Amino acid sequence: MPSVRHTRLQCQVFVILIGVCACFSDVDPVSIATATGMQTNGDAFKIEGRAIVPGVRLQDWISTARVIVEGEEHVGFFRVDGIFTVNDVPAGSYVVQVVSPLYRFEPVRVDITTKGKMRARLVNYIKPSEVVRLPYPLQMRSIGPHSYFVKRETWGWSDFLMNPMVMMMVLPLVVIVLLPKVVNTNDPEMRREMEQSMNMLNPNHELPDVSEFMTKLFSSKSPTKTGGVVGRVPKGGATKRR
Amino acid sequence: MSWLRYSFAVFLYLLQCTDAVFEDQVGKFDWRQQYVGNVRFAFFDTHSQASKKLLVATEKNIFASLNSRTGELFWRHVDKTGPEGNIDALLVHGQDAVVVVGDGRVLRCWETNIGGLNWEVLLDTGSFQSAAFIGVQDFVKYVAVLKKSAISLHYLSNGHQKWVENLPDSDTVQYQTVYSGGQGEVLVLGLVPNSHIVIVSYNIEDGEIMEQMSVEAPWMSSLEESCVVVGRGILLCIDPITLSLYTLPLNLEEKAEMNQILLQSLDLEVSSGFQPLLTATQPNPARPPLTAFFLQLGPEHHILLDLSDGIITALRDFKPSRLATFATTGEKTVVGVMAPKNETACSINLFTVDTGRRLLDTTVIYHLDPSGGKPNKLHIQAFLKKDDSVGYRAMVQTEDFALTFLQQPGRVVWSREEALADVITMEMVDLPLTGTQAELEGEFGKKAAIQDGLFAMVLKRLSSQLILLQTTIGHLWKLFYDARKPRSQVKNEVTFETLSRDEFNLQKMMVMVTASGKLFGIDSKSGSILWKHYLENIQPDSAFNLMVQRTTAHFPHPPQCTLLVKDKETGLASLHVFNPIFGKKSHISVPALPRPILQTLLLPLMDQDYGKILLLIDDQYKVTAFPSNKNVLQQLQESASSIYFYLVDSSQGRLSGFRLRKDLSSELIWEVVIPVEVQKIVEVKGKRPNEHVHSQGRVMGDRSVLYKYLNPNLLAVVTESTDTHQERSFVGIVLIDGVTGRIIHDAVQKKAKGPVHFVHSENWVVYEYWNVKSRRIEFSVLELFEGMELYNSTVFSSLDRPHPPQVLQQSYIFPSPISTLEATLTEKGITSRHLLVGLPSGAILSLPKMFLDPRRPEMVSDQSREENLIPYAPELPIRAEWFINYNQTVARVRGIYTAPSGLESTCLVVAYGLDIYQTRVYPSKQFDVLKDDYDYVLISSVLLGLFFATMISKRLAEVKLLNRAWR
Repeated sequence: MPSVRHTRLQCQVFVILIGVCACFSDVDPVSIATATGMQTNGDAFKIEGRAIVPGVRLQDWISTARVIVEGEEHVGFFRVDGIFTVNDVPAGSYVVQVVSPLYRFEPVRVDITTKGKMRARLVNYIKPSEVVRLPYPLQMRSIGPHSYFVKRETWGWSDFLMNPMVMMMVLPLVVIVLLPKVVNTNDPEMRREMEQSMNMLNPNHELPDVSEFMTKLFSSKSPTKTGGVVGRVPKGGATKRR
Repeated sequence: MSWLRYSFAVFLYLLQCTDAVFEDQVGKFDWRQQYVGNVRFAFFDTHSQASKKLLVATEKNIFASLNSRTGELFWRHVDKTGPEGNIDALLVHGQDAVVVVGDGRVLRCWETNIGGLNWEVLLDTGSFQSAAFIGVQDFVKYVAVLKKSAISLHYLSNGHQKWVENLPDSDTVQYQTVYSGGQGEVLVLGLVPNSHIVIVSYNIEDGEIMEQMSVEAPWMSSLEESCVVVGRGILLCIDPITLSLYTLPLNLEEKAEMNQILLQSLDLEVSSGFQPLLTATQPNPARPPLTAFFLQLGPEHHILLDLSDGIITALRDFKPSRLATFATTGEKTVVGVMAPKNETACSINLFTVDTGRRLLDTTVIYHLDPSGGKPNKLHIQAFLKKDDSVGYRAMVQTEDFALTFLQQPGRVVWSREEALADVITMEMVDLPLTGTQAELEGEFGKKAAIQDGLFAMVLKRLSSQLILLQTTIGHLWKLFYDARKPRSQVKNEVTFETLSRDEFNLQKMMVMVTASGKLFGIDSKSGSILWKHYLENIQPDSAFNLMVQRTTAHFPHPPQCTLLVKDKETGLASLHVFNPIFGKKSHISVPALPRPILQTLLLPLMDQDYGKILLLIDDQYKVTAFPSNKNVLQQLQESASSIYFYLVDSSQGRLSGFRLRKDLSSELIWEVVIPVEVQKIVEVKGKRPNEHVHSQGRVMGDRSVLYKYLNPNLLAVVTESTDTHQERSFVGIVLIDGVTGRIIHDAVQKKAKGPVHFVHSENWVVYEYWNVKSRRIEFSVLELFEGMELYNSTVFSSLDRPHPPQVLQQSYIFPSPISTLEATLTEKGITSRHLLVGLPSGAILSLPKMFLDPRRPEMVSDQSREENLIPYAPELPIRAEWFINYNQTVARVRGIYTAPSGLESTCLVVAYGLDIYQTRVYPSKQFDVLKDDYDYVLISSVLLGLFFATMISKRLAEVKLLNRAWR
């Protein structure tokens, strides 16, 4: 029973979604497509809007900015209050862009029917007929300055130390070098305690343990090494003394 | 939704391959020069004494504000090209500049300080005649715009239309001028040619016709050319036939007649064949014009006259005088006159307007540029000095579109070469070796070795080594000296003496050909113009073809460039041969070309002086060789059977291939006809002759090799359908072998239209078109492969290639319109290629060719990953980091020129359009030199540290060993 109820709920959600879609696509794209076909006759219209760059005064950027419609087919300029008008645009569908060398703006697609009805929507090149409405007259809001430059990779100690590879190398080194000095391994009690804790951590005795292997390696090496040297030195010393 | 996943994969890929500009590299090896084009209207801002603004409107549909002290741009507004953006009139009043655009379609008022619009209004259609400010009681309040059949009045404050009225009898009367004397009257002057003048007076409040009268003037053919308004509303006209002046008071009630004054009665004589010209001035639109006016009687003769109470008096006769103009500052109006001084210089002087007296200490000497054009306009910026006398600066405009700004006593403050706003074609030429380098070269020359003995040669060798040492020390000293100075002060003055090739051949000479016929030689490192040469008598709209016949590599022969100038209408061409380093015209005799030239061909063959042979094919398919001496003709005869060329006749849709015969005629080999009723040939492109391809094939994921089809004779032909209906329009691309005429591949892109931009290089063609159905720009790439085996790996012959190539194609969406397309080019072709895409926003995008690879898989497999193929994504990315010119946008980019440098990793790029931008790009990063951010300090400190560490540890180890030995 619960599963059935669940599917019904899903169905409802689905229906609502379709409804929303229908609301958005109130102007069918077919009529617009025909409008682009007969661009030559009919009246010319104007595209209006306003652009703002948050936190920047208008006079600091409008002299270098302009509005271009579908390449440079139509050009509009900014008024000192940030409002722009692109004149003499025949019916059709156009991508309107605010170009400024300093600030980035998202392009907007504007559809104009032969009767002069305007509609603005998001630019979607992959699905050109998808309609996500935007307000008209256009409200262009900058999404920040252009990021033309890449940051150089600067070399610093913090970068070097925080590098994961370095951390992986340094931390075990610290452990290996410092731990034996802090903990007195020669103390038999301590050793027993450590072994116990190791056993607790590693209940599976079958598996070769890394730490064990390491300790073995180190403990076996150092005696042989010292032994070897010790064995040789008296010889040399003896010969010298003779 | 799968594309989303792919785009994520692409994004991941992008993280690895970021090829961009670093912020500290700004201006290090790139520069931009901004231009506005030939100035049509220029106004100095006289609003305040301290103002530095110079407002210009140009033939390139640009309205800009220049800094009159430096010549740099304050701001610039680029309107659309063509007649729709054409600036018809510019009126300046205070802070406001009113511009009429597009044959009176748009009226704009600019706020000149900020560079933004005050207002913009759309006017009714109708051909524009004239515009004027209308003043009411000493105050400029309105703008009147006169069209062919209507007049409208607009408020200057907000652009709102006060009234618009139709003009009476506009089908017979040509209304040409609107005039206001500042008393609130609006007078429209019209003319019925060779019959009478019509004067209509409008009420300023409601546009009602107050008065209308007509005056007989059977001799007059144009009002604008022959009439001016002088003084308190007196129309003054000149009749070039009877050589007399006519005056007519405009504010008379009753029927009036024109009062004739013969020029003879004033003791004035017009040069024969010269159309006399009148010039008057109205310094303040709210006041009537001045009574003084200029009458030009000959090409070098002006006279300043005064008309008061119907009597004309001569104030001053300027003979000889080239240019004369009025200038106003505050309440004072002066006259600036340019008079020829001698062959190479002119002098500019100021005179008072009311008496014609010369003002003391106002002489400015203007030196004529021997490689430039004649001056054709004079603009005077007058200002009041502290002692209330008039000072001035002068701007001289010459016929080669140059602006020179002068200060007393003749110092050139700045100059602008506006011809560079319209670069047609360019080439980059290697710089010559320095004197010492050349001397070293000369030492090993054959002639020298034979003439001198052994001892002399040894001496020579030693001396040249000494010189080399000396220059090296000098260079090091200079480096050391410069390093101590702050970076901004180090000025590398480039002159011909210091001009020499650098280590990696990164500095070259840019030879630029402009539409006005002026040639420039620009240093690519600094952007300074090293030479210029103005070719006179160039028809506007000519075609130019620039070829480098001899490079600088053949010392002691000077390098040689040849420019073919072709008149588009007649097809007749002429050659200009010059040295690209110094710009000097060469004395080599140039063949006469009596017939129209269809095609030019620069052969890889060289004559005995190492100049490449240029073939010119005329409309009878006869071939002219340049240079043409015995040696050349012999070489041509020997290799005639392997010289092929093609011709394109787009009006008949015909492509034809020819072969050279031994007697320098040619025979038709093949012909392809593309029916003009269906489609037209837009462009034909071969490959660039200086292009190298390093790898013959591509290694696939399974270790087999896919060989490229590298046909050097391949032509890419792009056609567009004549039917522009969106359902039936198409773009076609045909790949034809230029020798055999064999069609290698043929593709049609349905529901597409131009403009098509394309690049043809290596084994690929990338083209771009407009998808009509989806309303978007699409890129398509064609790649040609021979297959897994190479037919003849040593040499490619078009005549012996039995297997047709395999063609792969893929298309992508490009999320922006584009202006131009070019590919990077490097010395050996090892570096990966990038496409340079000029966008209408002015940015130049460097798009890795890797994104346009038809083998990009839809499903990622191990093999494709091994090959480094990016998974297919329909949309190509545009990222701001890929803009090679960061915020230095290039307005109306028309072409991008790429040239290899001496470094394999580096490609030199010049983008030209309205602006010129030069930079370097590294498509595969700088793999062959240390990067400029290379951390020398770190590496040396690490090395030193390691060195000392080993020393110390060695010492410690020794001590330890010793201690152990003692134990």
